[in-house]
Amino acid sequence: MLEIENLKATIAEEQVLSGLDLSVNDGEIHAIMGPNGSGKSSLAQVIVGHADYEVIEGSVEYQGHNLLELEPEDRAREGIFLGFQYPVEIPGVNNAYLLKAAVNAKRKHQGQDEIDAFEFLKLAKKTMELLDMDQSFLNRGVNEGFSGGEKKRNEILQMAMLEPKLAILDETDSGLDIDALKAVANGVNSLRHSERAIVLVTHYQRLLDYIEPDYVHVLWEGRIILSGDKALAHKLEENGYEWVRTTVSS
Amino acid sequence: MNQNSLSPELLQKAVHSLPEDNLSNMRLEAADRFSNMGFPVKGSEDWKYTDLSQIADLTSQWLNGSMQENAVDRENHNTKIVKSVTDSIDAHWIVVRDGVIDSDITEPHGTTIKKISAVNKKIVTGNDAMSVFNAALLRDGIHITAATPLKKPIGILYIDGPSSVITQNRAIIEIEEECQLQLVECCLSAGIGKQFTNTVTDFLIAAEASVNYVRIQDRDFEHTSVNRVNALLEKNTIFNHNGFDLGGALTRNDIVTEIAGKDALVNLNGLYLASAEQHIDNHTNIIHTVGPSTSTEEYRGILSGDSQCVFNGRVFVAEGADGTDSNQYNHNLLLSERAEIDTKPELEIYADDVKCAHGATVGQLDESALFYLRSRGLNLEESQRVLTHAFASGTLSKLAVGVCYDYLTDLLDNRLELLVGAAG
Repeated sequence: MLEIENLKATIAEEQVLSGLDLSVNDGEIHAIMGPNGSGKSSLAQVIVGHADYEVIEGSVEYQGHNLLELEPEDRAREGIFLGFQYPVEIPGVNNAYLLKAAVNAKRKHQGQDEIDAFEFLKLAKKTMELLDMDQSFLNRGVNEGFSGGEKKRNEILQMAMLEPKLAILDETDSGLDIDALKAVANGVNSLRHSERAIVLVTHYQRLLDYIEPDYVHVLWEGRIILSGDKALAHKLEENGYEWVRTTVSS
Repeated sequence: MNQNSLSPELLQKAVHSLPEDNLSNMRLEAADRFSNMGFPVKGSEDWKYTDLSQIADLTSQWLNGSMQENAVDRENHNTKIVKSVTDSIDAHWIVVRDGVIDSDITEPHGTTIKKISAVNKKIVTGNDAMSVFNAALLRDGIHITAATPLKKPIGILYIDGPSSVITQNRAIIEIEEECQLQLVECCLSAGIGKQFTNTVTDFLIAAEASVNYVRIQDRDFEHTSVNRVNALLEKNTIFNHNGFDLGGALTRNDIVTEIAGKDALVNLNGLYLASAEQHIDNHTNIIHTVGPSTSTEEYRGILSGDSQCVFNGRVFVAEGADGTDSNQYNHNLLLSERAEIDTKPELEIYADDVKCAHGATVGQLDESALFYLRSRGLNLEESQRVLTHAFASGTLSKLAVGVCYDYLTDLLDNRLELLVGAAG
């Protein structure tokens, strides 16, 4: 589904990805771990097409097509979703409005009819129940005045409604208390599907107790330097990131 | 004689051409005074960015008869406009066409609505040049006395053109003790072409009374208007004002509120949308003569094309007006690099115990919000449109007269569509 080869990217002329390789197939869950500043979020932003990042070398193929030449909205419509580390507050834009506009943008792109109001509401309410979210969130401004946990739940709500093929969750676990973490993990697990891939970008192993990954990768200075299964995450938790560096360099 | 003056003989002649009535003396006195004043000159303190020089020319041409009437906007001929407004907003409507008040006014119970000429009271003409000019050429105005609260708002619909090029409107509104008044004012054009409208509205708000006032200006893009609102607040009164300026070539609003009694509250909110070469100038002046009293103010502007807007918000706190609490904000969204906003808060404080805050922002659409929306599949233009609407919607949430909400949202939606479309 996603093939990244030798990806090098800069932001404000500073190199943040330096020859990254990653291959993600349908149905897989990958965890990308690494210390602060290792390039985890940069990778997520480059995949969804943030204009501040410049790809200077390498390739990203998504479903056999060059992803890098698509606008951010087209990447979304083709089924890529990013759960933001810091979801933006947009006062004055109704949450339900955004959800519906997003769902319809994708439907239109796929040649489907717009979702009808009744169907939309039914789906939204069902998903919110799963995420333990109050329905009043639908009528509030997007993320406006939401707590950290509420913002992350809102990201998962959008993800569930948009049913992406490739979901990237950037530090979705950060700043969550245990109940919120469980609710978010619940939401993600309910979306596990043989035709959907999920990439979890995370600093801590904690999230992986609730969402079990098939692969764990360690990102270091803009490259993946170590890959393994979920045992690798436990090893990282025990020994810290310094351990990776000594292991790899020896 | 500077370029902004009008020949005194021409003005006298114009005054004499109006029918003889109770207002004749006022007109003549005002014409005399105006001849010594002239139109405001660009560059003077209060008119730093707004140029009325073309108004002097236009007025001269109109008064000496060397100008044709404007073409009728057939599509929107004024009966059609009247209907579109009165059908959309449920109010007791008073219609004023080219400065002439429609005769079929029905007075709701407990409210007196008369022509100013029919009220036996001396009219305070005002001291600024435009109010004096208004008094000199005023055909007639509306005098409202509100004694009992009404379920529906009172509406004043000013339609200008095509038969007159220079129009003076005036309304004097007295709200008696403990009464609440809702007022909607719509300012529209029925003609296409250069026109000038000069409107003065006075509110006299007696103790314990309140006013909710919404003013919607959506005139033709060649129309120039100068609009002045004076509000005098006695003790424990409220004056809520929402001004929406969407149309016009050149628009100047002066809102002057004077708090003369304790515990009065002034809320001024405005939204201006300007595109192409539109010029919209909002001057507000909140005078706290006594304290404790409160004023809040928030004006928002969205500018595209080569438009230019001005916001000048003055708050004056007199000596002894302790306990004054005032905050004032002006936020601007620039959709084009060529658009210009000149924003200036002005605080003048002569009391010791006061709380005054003010701030102004000028910016583009938030890049991170734009990217967030695009990452959800909305294209760039749609994302811009959504965020621009969101910026404007803040003013609707404070709407003082609820029944005009639907009319306004339709109007704003259409106008914002144009603004975003033209911004790129």
